[in-house]
Parts: sequence; structure tokens; C-alpha cells
Amino acid sequence: MLKENMKTSDFLLSVRDLKVVYTSAGATVHAVNGVSFDIRRGESLGLVGETGAGKTTIAKAILGILPDPPAKILNGEIILEDGDLRNLPEKEMRKVRGKKISMIFQDPMTALNPLLTVGDQIAEVVLLHESVSKKEAMNKAMEMLEMVGIPADRYADFPHQFSGGMKQRVVIAIALACNPQLLLADEPTTALDVTIQAQVMDMISALQKKLNTSMLLITHDLGVVAESCDNVAVIYAGEIVEYASKENLFLDPAHPYTLGLFGSLPSLTGDVDRLTPIPGLPPDPENLPDGCSFHPRCRYAAEECKHGSVPFKEVSPDHFVHCHMCHCEKEV
Amino acid sequence: MANTLIEAKNLKQYFNTPRGKLHAVDDMSFSIEKGTTMGVVGESGCGKSTLGRTMIHLLESTGGQILFNGEDITKVNKKQLIKLREEMQIIFQDPFSSLNPRMTVSETVTEPLLLSKRFSKKEAEERADEIMNTVGLSARLWNSYPHELDGGRRQRIGVARAIALTPSFVVCDEPVSALDVSIQAQILNLMQDLQEKNDLTYLFITHDLSVVRHISQNICVMYLGQMVESSPSKELFQRPLHPYTKALLSAIPSTDVRHKKERILLKGELVSPVNPKPGCRFAARCNYACDRCHEPQKLEKVSPGHFVSCCRVNEIN
Repeated sequence: MLKENMKTSDFLLSVRDLKVVYTSAGATVHAVNGVSFDIRRGESLGLVGETGAGKTTIAKAILGILPDPPAKILNGEIILEDGDLRNLPEKEMRKVRGKKISMIFQDPMTALNPLLTVGDQIAEVVLLHESVSKKEAMNKAMEMLEMVGIPADRYADFPHQFSGGMKQRVVIAIALACNPQLLLADEPTTALDVTIQAQVMDMISALQKKLNTSMLLITHDLGVVAESCDNVAVIYAGEIVEYASKENLFLDPAHPYTLGLFGSLPSLTGDVDRLTPIPGLPPDPENLPDGCSFHPRCRYAAEECKHGSVPFKEVSPDHFVHCHMCHCEKEV
Repeated sequence: MANTLIEAKNLKQYFNTPRGKLHAVDDMSFSIEKGTTMGVVGESGCGKSTLGRTMIHLLESTGGQILFNGEDITKVNKKQLIKLREEMQIIFQDPFSSLNPRMTVSETVTEPLLLSKRFSKKEAEERADEIMNTVGLSARLWNSYPHELDGGRRQRIGVARAIALTPSFVVCDEPVSALDVSIQAQILNLMQDLQEKNDLTYLFITHDLSVVRHISQNICVMYLGQMVESSPSKELFQRPLHPYTKALLSAIPSTDVRHKKERILLKGELVSPVNPKPGCRFAARCNYACDRCHEPQKLEKVSPGHFVSCCRVNEIN
């Protein structure tokens, strides 16, 4: 997280106070409500939250692919290296997508073009961004296939000839073909079986280390976060409620929502008679509560939580919590 | 066993496809005691949903027997089947597509009651009101449609519909997979409360190993239509014996940030369940495969309640 004495150039990506709404038929959905975070080179940040928390909206805002209308970025800076991406004209932004920032989408079944061979789909992104010949692009595509564990002689096969796990590996090959600095991975393994998930996550981690790629990993799976990320941001109702290194988050979770998430999970080692779910439901993003968005469901909620702004507190070095009630060292 | 509610004996479910016979469920045998939950785990395409649907006669089995309260129900006639339906129910995975979008909550819950012809309209409505209360659906949702509700509430409707006629056996086909973690916990607690209150027996199908461990007394692991291991829950996690079970458990991402997990990575891809060769279907990906694996494997008892289908089980462990 950015503190006053840090420069944005210490980071590859800095997002500052991002606010996104969706408007249609007179209703306004407050999807992202002032999100800030940073990612260093080679580092991975996990964005954890449940359906509707705003995670995918954040990733699409970074890549500049939010449909406008109905989405609108009301506020915020998205600084890649030293330039704000929001200031780039679309022509320049197209050079960024696939080359500097790549995205892996959730459903590999629909992310691939069924009418093109997998090899051509990888070569396509190389041809778009690098000044190479068609043959060189094809060679690069075959290299990428091998890198993701698919024999190069499957270049001329079509997506429907592959299993779900293999399709997702093709999607990863496309995303990494031009050696991007930042990979946005939106629930990359949710649609896959657990043994294939393990293969795919291991591969992403290995490639990340090899190519020094930074990653923003969006997921609701805390296990995947624990194994693949350096830092974690927990999102609730479009805001970051807790931000910490993965060690701090798993060993010392502080925000009541994070505690609630851990309490809802059945364990593989311990035994409980009943799980401890978070009571109630996530808030209606058209009608967010005053004060802290989580207060209606929070067992610690006090009068001050119901109105006004909520402070960001540093509960231990580089461990931030957006909460009145958490014990803390100092307010940031 | 004296308290067995439902039992499968050499159960087979094969489908005819243009490419040949698809062995979806192949020679499975197990029993479930009344008031307990048997978890069925396995990956996509292993046959667990097919198994669940076959057990409650949504699909007609190809071979073998299903004994319900000691009686073979595989060859029942239509009249007997209608009676049986009151005893055996199912909760589906997708709380949206499994509900009629044109029926309100009350209509969905009263439907089975009215179809049974044992309730007048008034009685059915009273009972539906009771059930909605039991599953935690507020009375003000009486006239709501599924599209107006979130996934958790829709799934509660699915549960309400399934228990309306007080069945003794419920197949739960991935009932919480489509739900967020915090809602999942609410539904799992509800299902456990109902089980205790009504002495329900569950066949709980899932691919989520932590959920199955929490909710089941016994677990059966499937791979491409074959049962590879069956054991009491805690024991399966402490002492997995089949190579596939070991690989499956090692694949689960761990939230223990202090210790790096040892992964067993499987090689190769799944073999086809169409016209499969005899023997263990996991052999092609197994690190311990040998010649004997191509012969039909026997389900052997290794310890009380713990069965494994692997010719090398003693050598490996």
C-alpha cells in the first residue's frame, strides 16, 4: 500500500482511488468505491471476495475494457510504470493490451475462438505486437505451446479437440506470448477440476518466476491465494477491507469480514459441528449502507460504524484494515 | 447391516452412444446407513451425478440392484415408483435452472404436496408455510419468483421442495457448488439441522473435498465410473490408500502458509469411458501402474469400513 514517503515508481502498477459505477434505466450500481493498491515487478497480488464484490470490474478497468455505457469510471488513476493509462487514447491502449498487460478470463470454454487453430490464436497476438514475420510468429507460438505443456504438433488443432484444462493452458500461452509485465488472471481455475487446477496454478507460478511477470489474481478460493500470491487484498462491496502479505492474512486476519470468511470454510484438518457463516447477505450495490458497508452483518458493529467514513488502520507493518473496531497501531 | 437404508449392488449405468457403450457407472457396490451422509467425490465426468440419479430412479439402471429398505427397486412399476418418489428426493446443483421460473416459491413448495393427493389445498399451504420457516425462507417471499431472489434463497427453495413430503433419502447433487462461501456455510448448516431433526439419509455428491469431509460420515471416491476407494471420512484424509485418492488430496490448495505442500502431479489425460478396456481406468496416469492393473480389480477390505480397489494397495502403503 502506498504510504506518504513512497514514490509510485517503486511499483509496476499503482491504482489510486478507483471508482466505477454501472448505470441503466435510472439505477446506479456502485461497483467499485475507492480502491487503491500497488503491485511491484514480479509480485503477485490476490484479490479475494465473493460474487458482486467488484473484482472483475477492477481488472477490466485496468485493461480499459469496461463497456461504456453502462460502466463509467468516475474517478481514479491507473498508473503503469509512470504513465496513467486513463490518459491514453484507444490506439495507444491497444498496444498495451496483450503486450504490457494481458488477461486470462474465467471461462476457458468461451475465451477461445472456435474457428481458429490454437496455434494461430497464439501467433495472432505475436503478430499484432511484435515486428516479426509470420513464420517467426508461428515458431513463437509453438514455443509457447511447449512452455505450457502442450506438444507443439498440436498447433493445427481446434479448441474443441482439447479438454478444459488444456484450453486454459492455451489461454495462458496467448496471455504470456508477448511477455507482458502484468498478468490479470480472473478466476483462472474455477472452471477446472482440482487436479488440473493444481497443474495450471503451478505452471502459472513457474512462468511468472521465469519471466518476472507481476500478477493480479482474482479468486474466491483462499487456498489458491495462499499458494500463489505474495500479498492479498480482501474486497467487500467494492472496497478493500483488508490488505496484507499472505502470511499476515492467514496467520493474523483482522477485519471482521475476513474472519467471517475463514469461519465459513469447512476445514480439511480440524472438526467443527457446525460452520459459522456470516449472517445476512451482501449489500445491494444500488443501495449501500451508510458508514461501513459491512456493519449490518458485523458482530462488532458500534454506533460510529453506521455513519461517516471508515479509517484505514495499519495493524502491523504493511497490514492494513478498513475498520473502526480493529485494534491498531496507528491510523494511516 | 441392520440399519442400512439403501444399498447398491454391482450397479451399472451404461449409455449407448454413436461411438459405442459409455460406461458411466460400472459395477459399484456400497451401502448407506439410515441418518448418515455418504459423500461421493470425483472429478468432472467420473459419473457421480449419474450415480445419484440412478439411485433415485431418474435414470433406469442397466444392471445390478438397488435395495431400498431391503427391497429391490430397480424393476418397479409406475404405481410403485410414484409411491417411492415420496421417499427419495433430490436437490440439484444449479438453483436457477432447477426451479420453474414461472412458479412462485409457494407454488414450487406446494406442488409435490398436491401431486401426492394426500393434502387439500389448504393443508398443502399450511404445510408449505411450515417448511419455508424450517428452511429459513421468510413468509414475505410466498409470492416471489426465483429471478427475484439470490442463489442462497433459491437453493433453500430447492431444499424445501425436496423435504416437503418428508423423504427418508435425499440425493444432494453438488448443492452448494454454485454458492458463495458464506452462503454455502448457511446451506450446509441447514442441511445438517434437517438431517438431525428428520433422521434424513444423504448421498452428497461434490468435487469439493473440504465440504465433503465436513458433512459426510463415509466417502466414496470415483474415477471414470469405478469406485476406487470407500472409507469413513476422517480416515480417508488421514490415510488415503488408492493412488488416485492420494493425488486428489494432494491437489487441494492449502491455506497453511507456513508449510509448502508436496504435490503428486498426474501425468497424461483421462482415458475414454466409451468401450473401456478391462482393468483399472486410472492405470494410464498412475505412477504405480503394472501389468496386473489391466485385469479387473477387486474391491478389498483393508480395515473396518475402508475398501480399496487396487492390486498394489499393500505394496504402495
